[in-house]
Amino acid sequence: MTARAMTQNIKMNAEKDDQMKRSRLIQQGRKIGLAAAALTLVATGAALAHSEGGGVTVAVDGAPSWSLSPVYHILVAHFPVGLWVTAYLFILIRTFSDSEFAVRLQKAIWPVAALGTLAGFVTYGLGLTIYPWSAITESPLGRNHILLATWTLSYWTVMSVLGYRFRRHLFEGGQRWVTFALATIGALVITVTGTLGGSLGGTPSLVTKSLSWIGWNVYMTFYLPTWMLVAFFAGAALLVAIGIAGWRRRA
Amino acid sequence: MTKRTTYLAASVAIFSGLLVLGWATHGTGIVKDDPERNIVIPEELTSELQVKAAYDGEKIWFRYRWPVERPSLFNDVLVYNDGNWEKRGGEALGPNPDFLTEDRVSMMIDDGSVPLFGRYGGYITIGDGLTTFTGTPETDEERTKYLPSTRTDPNDFETVLSESDLETLRAAGQFIDLWQWRSSRSNPIGLGDDGFVAEERGGDAGTGPYTTNWDSATNQPKYMFNPEVAGSTALQIDAVIAGDVGFNDTYYLSAETAIAFDPTYAWKNGDTIPRRYLRPTDGSRGDVVQPKKARWRNGFWDVTLVRDMDTGNPIDDKIFKDGGNYDLAFAVFRNASTMRWHYVTLPVSLGLEQPAQMVAERVAPGTEPDWTQPWTEITTFYPGQVTWGRLTDAQQHPGADRIAARVPVGVRHSEEQLALYGVQMEFAEEIKRQWIWTLIASLTLIVGLGININLLMRRREDVK
Repeated sequence: MTARAMTQNIKMNAEKDDQMKRSRLIQQGRKIGLAAAALTLVATGAALAHSEGGGVTVAVDGAPSWSLSPVYHILVAHFPVGLWVTAYLFILIRTFSDSEFAVRLQKAIWPVAALGTLAGFVTYGLGLTIYPWSAITESPLGRNHILLATWTLSYWTVMSVLGYRFRRHLFEGGQRWVTFALATIGALVITVTGTLGGSLGGTPSLVTKSLSWIGWNVYMTFYLPTWMLVAFFAGAALLVAIGIAGWRRRA
Repeated sequence: MTKRTTYLAASVAIFSGLLVLGWATHGTGIVKDDPERNIVIPEELTSELQVKAAYDGEKIWFRYRWPVERPSLFNDVLVYNDGNWEKRGGEALGPNPDFLTEDRVSMMIDDGSVPLFGRYGGYITIGDGLTTFTGTPETDEERTKYLPSTRTDPNDFETVLSESDLETLRAAGQFIDLWQWRSSRSNPIGLGDDGFVAEERGGDAGTGPYTTNWDSATNQPKYMFNPEVAGSTALQIDAVIAGDVGFNDTYYLSAETAIAFDPTYAWKNGDTIPRRYLRPTDGSRGDVVQPKKARWRNGFWDVTLVRDMDTGNPIDDKIFKDGGNYDLAFAVFRNASTMRWHYVTLPVSLGLEQPAQMVAERVAPGTEPDWTQPWTEITTFYPGQVTWGRLTDAQQHPGADRIAARVPVGVRHSEEQLALYGVQMEFAEEIKRQWIWTLIASLTLIVGLGININLLMRRREDVK
C-alpha cells in the first residue's frame, strides 16, 4: 500500500469514526430528549391534577379569556435553573482543576448549558402567559422578574453559544478566568431571578432580604437613570468595537 | 498575558463595571415631589402604632400611642395682616412646614357586615378621582372615600345610589363606623368625633366638636381670646409656628376661653386667632369622647377614646357586644400632614375576650381599664394613590383574581411592600417607561458582550 493510499485510508477511517460518533451523539440526544419530554408530560399531568380547584369560580374584571396557571411556569422553571447551575458547577470545577474528572465534566458544559437555554425559552414563554402583559408590567415585582429573567435567558444564550464554539478552549490560559467570571455573573442572575419568582409567588427568601441589604429592595422597580441607559448603550457599542479590534488583530 | 486576553479581561471589566454602576444608580431620577400633580412623598414610608382595648360591658375604650417628632396643636389659624385676617394652615400637600395642620388618629370599625373590609381594610373605600389624587380637578365639595356598594359603578364617584337604596344598605349594616381624634379640633375639650364611611366619609347625626370661627358677612373672626383667661386677645404667629405655644397656654377657642370678636381692638400684624371654635358635641356624632385630654410626651401621642358599646344608633354606629369579633383599620396623621398624606394600617381583627389579632380585655363593670395588658404593635404605612378599581381589575393588577377569591391583602403583601407600591403607583407611567428602556439597554449590553467575547476568544490552534 502506498503512503498516499495509507493516508487516504486513515482519513476515511477518521471520517467513519466521526460519523459513528455523531450518530451515537444523535441517538443519545434523542434518548435524552424523549426522557425529558416524558418527564415534562408526567410533571404537567401532576400539575394539572393539583391545579384542579373546587370551590366557587369567580368572575374577575378585565380577566384575559385565556391564561395558564403559574404552576406550569414554576414547574418548568426548575429545568433551566437546574441545568444552568449544573453547567456553572462544572465550569467551577474545570476552572480550578485540570484533573481527568474535571476535563470530562468540561465536555458536558455546553450541552447542559444549551439544554438549560432551550428549557429557559420554554419557561420564559410560559411565564408570559400567566398574567396579562398590562397587569404584570404594573407590578414592580413582576417587572423585576421579567427584567432578570430576560437577563438570565440572554446571558445564558451567550454562554451556550460560547460553550458550543470554544468548548475546551474556554479553559485555556487566561481565558479560563474570563469564563469563570462570566459564569459567576450568570449564576448570580439565575439566583436573583429565581428568588424574585419566589417572591412573586408569595414566598420571599433570605436572598430577597440579602438583596435589600446590598442596595436593592426588590419591591422597587429596577430601572436605570437616563444617563446610565446611555452608558449601557455606549458600553455595548464599546464592547463590540473592542471585539472587532481584537478580531482584526488576529486576522 | 496576550493582547487578546487583555482585551478580553478589559471587556469583562467594562461589562462588570457597568453592572456595578447600574446597581448603584438604579431607581434614581424619577421618584421625587411634584406638587403640580399633588405628589409629595413622605420621608418615612412606614411607622408604628400601638393600640390597646378594654370594655366593661357598657363602655369600650381604645388607647392609641404613636410617634410624632413635634406635636401639632393647631390646625388652621387666622392671621392679622394690614387690616385683613388671612387664613393659614389646614389642608396642605404633604407636611405643612409651619406645623399648622393638626395630628390625628382615626379608626374604622366593622362588625362583619362589610366582608371586604376585614380583608382589604381602607383600600375598598378608595375610588377613582378622590380629592388630591393626581389628575382630579379641584371641586368645591370634597370627594371623600366611599364604599363601592354605594355606587352603581364602584369606580365612578358620581354614580351614587338613590336615597332609598342607600338607606336599605345602611339598615343592612353596609357602612363603616369611623372614630376620630384631632389634636386641635377635638382634643383641647376632651372630645373625639364619631362619623362613618358609606356613600361618603361624613359625621354622624348631630353636632361635631368644632365650627368655623369666621363671619363671612363681615370678613372677620367671630371669636377672639378672652384676655382675662388667655392673657391676651390673640397669639403671635411667630410663636405658633416656632412651637412656643404649648399645653400650658390657652391655645384654643371655646366657651371658656373665647369672647365675641372685637373689630375695634388695636390689632397688630401677626396677631393670630384659631380658625376653629370648639364646642360640646350633640347627638350621635358626640358618642366618642376622651376620658381625659390627651398629651404628647417623650415623642409620642397617647390618646384614649371611649364610647358606649351600644350607642342606640345602629345605623350610625357599629354596636359592640360582649364576645363579639370586629374588624378595625387605623390611620395616623403625623408631621403636620392631612388628607391622603396619612399612615394607614391593614385590617386588624378585634375580639372582645375572643381570639383575634387584638383582644379587648374585660374589666369590672363601672371601672376604668388599668391598661396593664401589652400593646398590640401595628405597622402603619403611606398608601400612595391606589384605588379599589385598579386593584380589582385584572388588566392592572396581577392579584385581581386573588381579590376575587377573597384572599386577604395581608397574605400577599407586607406593609412595607404596599408603601413602596403606593409610591411607585404615583409615577406609574414614568417608571414603566424607564423600566422598558432599562430592559432594552441591558439586553443590548449583553448582546454586545456576546459579540465581543465570541470575537475575542480563541482556540489554541488558531494561534499556531
